[in-house]
Amino acid sequence: MSGDPGAAAERTRLAWRRTALSAAAVALLALRPVVTDPTHVGKWIATSLIMVGWAAMVGIAYRRAKGLTSQPPRPARRTVPAFALIALAFAVLGGLVIAL
Amino acid sequence: MMKSASCGITFSTRAVDNQQVLRQWFDPEKTPTVGRTPDYRFSLANERTFLAWIRTGLALIAGGLACAQFLPPLPITFLREGLAIALLLLGGVVALRAVDHWARTERAMRLGEELPGSKFPAILALVVALGSVLLIITVLINAVRE
Repeated sequence: MSGDPGAAAERTRLAWRRTALSAAAVALLALRPVVTDPTHVGKWIATSLIMVGWAAMVGIAYRRAKGLTSQPPRPARRTVPAFALIALAFAVLGGLVIAL
Repeated sequence: MMKSASCGITFSTRAVDNQQVLRQWFDPEKTPTVGRTPDYRFSLANERTFLAWIRTGLALIAGGLACAQFLPPLPITFLREGLAIALLLLGGVVALRAVDHWARTERAMRLGEELPGSKFPAILALVVALGSVLLIITVLINAVRE
């Protein structure tokens, strides 16, 4: 594609996809405590929040991938801090899932 | 950032800097509308670097979750839990640092300034190395005791 020198947009799109996949790994790991101890309400809340965050991450990555298809690709703005804050929330909620 | 330009009046601009940090994270293009939009390839490269850091952070978080769930209880009380919490904390810090660095790089590129340097990769490497050395020591102590 001549409109994308160095395949910058393509590589960025794939980087978003990789990152969404990493988020999936974290979400799946966080799912286990609630399976082994299904009676704990706090764990349910924390785990469901992590699942919501995961869905948001996948949605954001998908939207961003679409934004990259324009010519020239638009640079990211709010998607970046949103992604970082959800990752931070994963750390906090993951701590809760473990500690509860 | 503005630091190099405002060295003489550091104290008054520092507070403003701190207030602007959050706004800068969420809208690096608009705060303030200075400089020129860089070549989009540079912005996308910056974005990929950010994503690579986020993956590093997510990997640390995943490591913390895995530690807490799959390690057997370690010889020292709460070492397993402490390790898990430390990894989670590290992951959170990496994510925050990633967005801060992304925003500062974006701004520097708009202003045509020198890209921000960072000691963070070195610090992270040292912390991870220190953690693994501590773990090796506990494993050895455990082996000798048995």
